[in-house]
Amino acid sequence: MSGIALRDDTMGDDAIARARHTEDVVVGDEIVRERLSARVVHWTVAVTFFICLFTGLPIWTPYLGFLADLFGGLHVCRVLHPWMGVAFAAASVLMFAQWISQMTLTRADRQFITPKGMLQYFQYRNEDADVGKYNGGQKMLFWAAALGALALLLSGIVMWLPQPIFGQWLRQASYILHDTAFSLFFAMIIGHIYLGTAAEPGTFRSMIRGTVTKSWARLHHPRWYRDVMSQERR
Amino acid sequence: MTADGLEVRQSSASVWNSKTELRNLRVVSKLIDTSTCIGCKACEVACQEWNDLHIVPTEQRGTYQTMPTLHANYWNLIQFREREIGPDFAWLLRKDGCMHCADPGCLKACPAPGAIVQYQNGIVDVNPEACIGCRMCETGCPFDIPRYSDQTSKMAKCTLCVDRVQVGLEPACVKSCPTGCLEFGDKTELVAIANARVEQLKQNGFVNAALYDPPGVGGTTVITVLAHGDHPEWYGLPKDPHVPTGVRFWKNALRPLGALAIAGAFFAMVGHYLSFGPKKPKDTKDTQQGEESK
Repeated sequence: MSGIALRDDTMGDDAIARARHTEDVVVGDEIVRERLSARVVHWTVAVTFFICLFTGLPIWTPYLGFLADLFGGLHVCRVLHPWMGVAFAAASVLMFAQWISQMTLTRADRQFITPKGMLQYFQYRNEDADVGKYNGGQKMLFWAAALGALALLLSGIVMWLPQPIFGQWLRQASYILHDTAFSLFFAMIIGHIYLGTAAEPGTFRSMIRGTVTKSWARLHHPRWYRDVMSQERR
Repeated sequence: MTADGLEVRQSSASVWNSKTELRNLRVVSKLIDTSTCIGCKACEVACQEWNDLHIVPTEQRGTYQTMPTLHANYWNLIQFREREIGPDFAWLLRKDGCMHCADPGCLKACPAPGAIVQYQNGIVDVNPEACIGCRMCETGCPFDIPRYSDQTSKMAKCTLCVDRVQVGLEPACVKSCPTGCLEFGDKTELVAIANARVEQLKQNGFVNAALYDPPGVGGTTVITVLAHGDHPEWYGLPKDPHVPTGVRFWKNALRPLGALAIAGAFFAMVGHYLSFGPKKPKDTKDTQQGEESK
């Protein structure tokens, strides 16, 4: 594998080289968490999401009309928003295909996403939790994002096309669905960004460099940490 | 461009107080007496001429109706309907076009600031410069009036000849009507004329004659005398039009709720950070370096 070949290349960064194609391997003090393709897909979804968000917000309310100036005005937003929505949906499909095999909820995950489990998680009282590579909350985010993207796509198509095609009732339902899905999605993404940056230092690098530190893995994903380390020893 | 010299009562997607009602201008109205319309279509021609609208191809559907429905280039359409009422046959003609609602659903649904304007005189107008062509007004309208123009990618509809009205002229359709079934003037005066005409129709045997000025949309600037006033749907008019419930819920309730959810998530995260801070391993030496110490 090219990653292994590059390991001996003193000019390169071992961890970054390994993170191109592999995951769940130890490189020095780091563990590769997200391979390059996973990170590219994640950021494609993120960038298209934010373009959709900032072109959609000034259409959502005139109070955020100033955001339209980022793109050259509301007329540009109106054209950009649906096409970027299509790009966002397409990227979401890729993301869905990429991670679905790892997103099945285990018994421990179901415990994690109960109100009690979430409270313990947010109060940092869940240290002994049997958390694998992705915790229950992350898996729920995955499923919610898939469902949200689907709702936004379907309602968006109805809003995009002329009214006679779907009729006035379906149009109204789509405005309501599109707004509901967007509001919840945005609220969820605020939580996602917070947990991935300020709340849990060391997390953001897993989506930039693709690696995390061993101490981070032991703290946040103990079962994954054990699995990776035992794999290493073998 | 909004019409010069007219005061604005409300404007779409305005953040705060779009009203400019300083002067006390009259509220206008157009009366359509369907019982005296002969279907000559002079009003259609006058509308096309005055507004310089290009003619669009139509299709023959076995009626006298010029177009199957309104079009971005055809704002005024006489609809021809045939109906058997008891032993009688009725040929119901109605002039279709913007009703200029007092509570305009199009304006409610519109997300583009100033793209739909209601003047103090009651005229509801599209400002094509501000219109983004999102078609949301289609859904807001209870009368199925606004049409999307492929030529401009913007919405278009009857302006009630606001450019004529603002200089004291009557709309082109009214000017051209040969039977006097169209009248233009102050709304209160026209309502009185319309009611007198309704009485006349009742005496002539049309006991259900009525004036169509639907209260569900706050009344309309374009008011219609119907010989069969108990059945506006026979003329293609909704029986009790409202700004669609979904549109009102979406704008009045869902939008603030959504804003609340988003703001709630943001402040919850801020609150969490202030009360709990970042999550770190118990061994503080570890976290200061951000790496394992060994």
